[in-house]
Amino acid sequence: MSSSLYWNPRNETLSRDSIEALQVEKLRRLVDWADVNAVWHAKRLRDAGVTGDTLENLSDLRRIPCMTRDDWMQGQIETPPYGPFLTAPEQLAIRYHTTSGTTGKTPIRVLDSIKDWEWIAEMWCYGFWGFGIRPHDTVFFAFGYGTFVGFWGAHYACEKIGCLVVPGGNMTTEQRVKQILDTGSTVVCCTPTYALRMAQEARDLGIDLAKGPVKSLILSGEPGGSIPATKRLIEEQWGAKAGDTAGMTELGTIMVFECSHQPGGMHIIEDNFIEEVLDPEGDEPVPYGELGERVVTSFGRGFLPVIRYRTRDLVVKVPASECDCGRTFDIYEGGIRGRVDDMKVVRGTNIYPRAIEAIVREFSEIDEFQIHLFTARGIRDEVEVFIEIPDSRVDSETLMKDLSQALSDGHEGLRFGVKKVENGKLPRFELKAKRLVDERKIVGGTGEGKPM
Amino acid sequence: MDTRDSTQARSLLVECYSNLEKVLRDHRDELAPFEERNALKAVGALWQIVNGLEVAPYQLYDVGA
Repeated sequence: MSSSLYWNPRNETLSRDSIEALQVEKLRRLVDWADVNAVWHAKRLRDAGVTGDTLENLSDLRRIPCMTRDDWMQGQIETPPYGPFLTAPEQLAIRYHTTSGTTGKTPIRVLDSIKDWEWIAEMWCYGFWGFGIRPHDTVFFAFGYGTFVGFWGAHYACEKIGCLVVPGGNMTTEQRVKQILDTGSTVVCCTPTYALRMAQEARDLGIDLAKGPVKSLILSGEPGGSIPATKRLIEEQWGAKAGDTAGMTELGTIMVFECSHQPGGMHIIEDNFIEEVLDPEGDEPVPYGELGERVVTSFGRGFLPVIRYRTRDLVVKVPASECDCGRTFDIYEGGIRGRVDDMKVVRGTNIYPRAIEAIVREFSEIDEFQIHLFTARGIRDEVEVFIEIPDSRVDSETLMKDLSQALSDGHEGLRFGVKKVENGKLPRFELKAKRLVDERKIVGGTGEGKPM
Repeated sequence: MDTRDSTQARSLLVECYSNLEKVLRDHRDELAPFEERNALKAVGALWQIVNGLEVAPYQLYDVGA
């Protein structure tokens, strides 16, 4: 079956009616499971009068109230550390991961079991196989392997496919570039920004990556993989095809992937997820081709059921027929187009201005602050915080060091610069404060602009 | 379980899954550590096959996976 274009040939080519019938069947089982085992979901389902046997078609899904990130955060605060969402004893989990929270130092924490991790890898297999990665490939992961879930599932997916996996954690960029060449890696997995960073490092070392062994890059963690200018630049510098994927810690894995036909978007793994696209201000679905908010229901992760989770991601769904690969899974054209809220992604890490503010405000010596996002050396996203310290007796150096560490600790180790500025220099706000200035370039583009 | 698939190979895989799940459900306490933990790894993998065969398998937390 290695000649198959598809990881799961039958499910990836089901008729629309069959996909929806499968989704309804799985939804019924998920709802029944959550009703019996997940305290938080059970109350909401019962309040809405929803049981598995009352769900007859996909439009019935809308009877279930949506879950938000704030719900998740609040649940964790009220019932630490995981909230009232777990369906099984913590002792059954084999892994702990986190993603940045919205309210300060508290991250969203997730647990998964043996079966869940097999499923997490399985979803990545759809993507890797769909982009043409096969057992004979050698796959290099330029990834830090921490509690940020990132490419963990991708690593296991490649082992499952039978690839030779090179785990490139805890290495300098120079070491990674050299090891990619030394191992003859044919595939590299990283964020779009880091793909460009490695290309720059290779140039500095006098290495022409386009003449090297890499034929594919699998990108994730940032929107750049679906921004045509950025993708084109990456493909030119590496002499390889770049395939985008997108996932989220709340799901543990990817829910969309770009196939080898590169249709300008990513297929939704519809036999394992229901992806609704709703009006960001309401609960009404938007039709194909219109911008709306992703709302996801996952059938795989049972430890932490995800039912109608409002992601705040903006997407445009188009029919599967827009791609000629033969899959019947619909497509998010142009990938993740942006955010409904004020979340930003910096080198794969989510940051929320309100979470940064919560940390900054723990330092009472700071009067005003501003978050500054910029592009360093033409390719790398950076975040720094400008602060005003009115009291000249304060040890500014120590304070800046402590704040930088606290911000990093609250954001999966992301590096934060902290700079003291002259008192009164930063803008003051009477109404809604806008303390985030995003001056990042669209990498590969022609001008300044926000990448999302 | 509705497998909706009649090929012998797939039926055998589903049967493997069912048998393994039954072993873990009914005889887990009798298994040596190497048997129990490898069976749990295996049932987690076989669940993916059943889940991919147009069916909706039950969760496995009660058997330890």
